[in-house]
Amino acid sequence: MIKAENIHKSFGDLNVLNGIDLEVRRGEVVVLIGVSGSGKSTFLRCLNFLELTNEGVITIDGKQVNQKKDNLAKIRAEVGMVFQHFNLFPHKTVLENVMEAPLMVKKMDKAQVKKMALEILQKVGLSEKAEVYPNKLSGGQKQRVAIARALAMQPKVLLFDEPTSALDPELVGEVLQVMQNLAEEGMTMIVVTHEMKFAKNVADRVIMLDEGVIIEDSDPDTFFNRSTNTRTLQFLEMVDV
Amino acid sequence: MPEFFLTFYDVFKSTYKGFLQAGLLTIEITAIAIVIGTVLGIIFALMKISHSKILQTISNIYITLIRGTPLIVQIMFLYFGITSIIVLDNFWAGAIALGIHNGAYIAEIFRGSIQGIDKGQREASLALGMNSSLTMRRIVFPQALRRAIPPLGNQFIITLKDSSLVYVIGVSELFGLANRVAASNFKQFETFLVVGLYYLILVLIFSALLKWYENKLDVDK
Repeated sequence: MIKAENIHKSFGDLNVLNGIDLEVRRGEVVVLIGVSGSGKSTFLRCLNFLELTNEGVITIDGKQVNQKKDNLAKIRAEVGMVFQHFNLFPHKTVLENVMEAPLMVKKMDKAQVKKMALEILQKVGLSEKAEVYPNKLSGGQKQRVAIARALAMQPKVLLFDEPTSALDPELVGEVLQVMQNLAEEGMTMIVVTHEMKFAKNVADRVIMLDEGVIIEDSDPDTFFNRSTNTRTLQFLEMVDV
Repeated sequence: MPEFFLTFYDVFKSTYKGFLQAGLLTIEITAIAIVIGTVLGIIFALMKISHSKILQTISNIYITLIRGTPLIVQIMFLYFGITSIIVLDNFWAGAIALGIHNGAYIAEIFRGSIQGIDKGQREASLALGMNSSLTMRRIVFPQALRRAIPPLGNQFIITLKDSSLVYVIGVSELFGLANRVAASNFKQFETFLVVGLYYLILVLIFSALLKWYENKLDVDK
């Protein structure tokens, strides 16, 4: 579904990604973990070209992307992203947030988009908030709207960049529940998170990044219970699993 | 003292018809200048934040020239410059000069408010597959506009008062008329007090409208 080969990325003198190879198959849920500064968010942002790589090849659904020549907007339309700070559009209602891209990018019929948007909002449990502006929502609700907004484009893969890190602890559950539902429906997902429970229970693969390279790539059971990698063991000791 | 009020009243009474017309002219010039200035302001703000070095440079030159020279010089320059090429009456020359002048200040207001929008907004929009121009038009600019309204309102009030300077090319707006009235009735003090009041009333009405609009936007949000 999405394949990254030998991804290098640096900001000035700072090498953030030092050759990452990762292939994610359709319907797979991959969780990226690692200490801050390990490059997980940067890698995620490279996958939808919010950051352009210095080196390496990204292939989406069998098509190799040329980040200089290809229409990146078109590619991004198929790769959804959910941000740590939600980034909802404050001047638009919840419904308008969800409808915006299908209307403007896909130029779909308005009535049809509205119907679809309401269905998606129902799925994330927020249909009664459709006419509300984002500033009236809790953090958990905002993030669920952000997920709905990404889903409205019917992406082939969804990227989550620390979706629960900015939330109050009691609001984390509702967002993870929505994500788990999506995973069960077969959505292809790449998730950067510190939620080890989510990684344990929902992920098909857990990937550990350290200093811009992948140091471990295994199923959750192996990762959490039988890892022999010293850095992974150190990391697991630091976080409360 | 009562004498002063009597003279003041006399001046007021004998001139109000003329001043009402002149006031209309002031409002027209201001309105035209605001429209021209806003359009120029948006164009030059977008040029300044574009990735093209050429566009940035053109915008910078425009803003530097306008901010670096007095408005009264710009009015004279444009009036005598333009009317040597095309036929243009002093009303339009004045309004256009005032518009071009304002464009530079409004460009800076828009630039600041566009750059003040959280970059997450742009990223979220791009991530949804919207291209740069859609992102600007649908997501960034509408938010920047809301943020720009208080400083824009300020600039519009300055424009209203600056419109008095077009008297130098012979436009009979409020200040131009006041000059002529004072020269004929020799009651300079009273006459300029009267015209000052007219400006004050216009500014107060204008401010109230802006305030109302700002509140309305807040309620919407």
